[in-house]
Amino acid sequence: MLKFLINPSKFIKFSDLVFKPLVIFTLLVFIIGLFYVYKSPLDYQQGLTVKIMYVHVPSAYLAILIYAIMTIYSIIGLAFKMPFSFIINKAIAPIGAVFTLSCLISGSMWGKPMWGTWWVWDARLTSVAILFVVYLIIIFLYQTFENREVREKTVAIFILIGSINLPIIKFSVDWWNTLHQPASISKLSSPSIDISMLKPLLIMILAFSLIAVIIAILRIKAEILIRKSHL
Amino acid sequence: MLLANNLSFSRNKVNIFNDISLSIGRGQIKQIKGKNGSGKTTFLKTILNILLPENGEVFWEGKNIKKNIFNFYKEITLIMDEPSSTKSLTLINNINFWKGFSDSTITDNEVLLLLQAFKLEKYIHTQVMYLSSGEVKKLELLRLIIEQKKIWILDEPYNHLDEGSIEILNQTFVDHIKKNGIILFASHFEPIITNLEIINFK
Amino acid sequence: MQIFKKIKLFFFRELKLFYSKITDLFSNILFFFLSIFVFVFALGAEKALMQTIGVGIIWALLLLSSTLSIRRIYEDDFKNGSLIIMHMGGLSYELIAFLKIISHFIFVQIPFLISIPIAGLFFNININEIIVLIITFAIGSLILSCLGSISASMNLLNKTNFSIGSLIILLFSIPVIIFSVGIINSNNDFTSLLNLLFGIALIFVGISPWSSASCIKLAIKNK
Repeated sequence: MLKFLINPSKFIKFSDLVFKPLVIFTLLVFIIGLFYVYKSPLDYQQGLTVKIMYVHVPSAYLAILIYAIMTIYSIIGLAFKMPFSFIINKAIAPIGAVFTLSCLISGSMWGKPMWGTWWVWDARLTSVAILFVVYLIIIFLYQTFENREVREKTVAIFILIGSINLPIIKFSVDWWNTLHQPASISKLSSPSIDISMLKPLLIMILAFSLIAVIIAILRIKAEILIRKSHL
Repeated sequence: MLLANNLSFSRNKVNIFNDISLSIGRGQIKQIKGKNGSGKTTFLKTILNILLPENGEVFWEGKNIKKNIFNFYKEITLIMDEPSSTKSLTLINNINFWKGFSDSTITDNEVLLLLQAFKLEKYIHTQVMYLSSGEVKKLELLRLIIEQKKIWILDEPYNHLDEGSIEILNQTFVDHIKKNGIILFASHFEPIITNLEIINFK
Repeated sequence: MQIFKKIKLFFFRELKLFYSKITDLFSNILFFFLSIFVFVFALGAEKALMQTIGVGIIWALLLLSSTLSIRRIYEDDFKNGSLIIMHMGGLSYELIAFLKIISHFIFVQIPFLISIPIAGLFFNININEIIVLIITFAIGSLILSCLGSISASMNLLNKTNFSIGSLIILLFSIPVIIFSVGIINSNNDFTSLLNLLFGIALIFVGISPWSSASCIKLAIKNK
């Protein structure tokens, strides 16, 4: 049933099937999300700037999630020799880079009024900046080698090594004393965020994820078609 | 006996050669002849398992070479189109490197005589980068004798050689065959050697 | 034991190569000192400032200048086919990569150790810190050699973008520099961090021969 995740032709069939409903659903969720964000209360300290959070948190979450997916697909691709996983890696790397950039930009837009500076060299910010650099190197690497197999394997290994960064990002707020606040949403303990803010945030995360899925489907499909036409 | 069974190879899904079989017994010399880009070099590399063939196997004395590749490599001198001498090392250092890595038992005196025969003895402590391309090629062919291997595999050995050297090379080939050696080389030039068998590549 | 004879021969050859390219090393060391001067001119030669930032600058510049030579670890031997000759002589590519890392460490990184005390003089760094600096760089440069081996073998495969190798070295040397400077700044208790750095070095020594060898194999196939 989940064959479409590893088989290109099944993926195309599946994506053709779900694409239109998915777009409509995404639009719906996004509009609802924006509405909730509009209605959500202002923070008594931060005022209007708190609404940057509704862009910042989903992008950060997706930046890390996309890298984690790439790591999993690299393992699958290297271990089981599945070329489709490399197609997915190539397709979603720029999406991850864009979300990381959006996370960094929105973060520094929030940081300027709140912390009084665009950028501080604290552990969370630095490790996310490194994640962005890693994404960029991955994109560069895809343009470097002539031989496709070599290219894909090298990038997969690089992705695996770079995944060391993920736990560093996640736990940087716990391990080091940072300016950045620790995680607010977690399943284990009750969230340290009010329900009136949590609801729009979760909806926005869903909306952002759906947008990422739509772009990913388009990119993966394009990549499959390019490869079919070439070789 | 060196035996290749139905070798085929393709690169980027473009077929380079298909179903080529070859057997060379001791004391035989064979040439692969073909145009540029006909896959001569690729074929030589496939026999040596530097490139893995898509189909087919290579046997040396009845054993598949994949089983113990180093036992097979122990018998081979491979000379590619590009000279393998290290440019920043002197001639004698290069020779010692080849000698050591091929477990050759050739003595220093014999090496000196060889260098004299090829008129290279005055460069013995000169870095290879100061030699002319013909001299570098001659030095490269000296490897055949220095390494003392049974199987010689050469890619375009006649490039950059003058007529005198071509004759010397032909004579070395004949001597090696007389000593029950095996020679396989790729060239578009057809030398005059008795008992030379030619395999034509399209 | 023929393999030991060949390893000995390998190092003998590396020594000869090192000797023939010794000016390369000198210019790398000169690069290191010149960039120190550039830093001093850019920041102003205030004694207290120099003392506080000296260690960090020395480490960063050592890293940059020792990566200058890294691109060419495999290049020459790959082009003229010496790698194939060594392989056919009975050394596996993994062993070749390992020996190359060790010889790069001995012949390129160790000479840099000599320049550290001299650089320390320029910044008025006290003798204890210099000793710690030398120890950390001795371990850290082993990691740099491993990273260099990986990126040099990757450079064999790529024909368009050569600076990507340096990017990767710089990226992965971030943890090295964090731990090394951490060791220097923690006054007394640096053994645990030193062990950690040593552990990272051992991991890299374990990993990099394999990854370099797989890159070399692919490069030889596609030559």
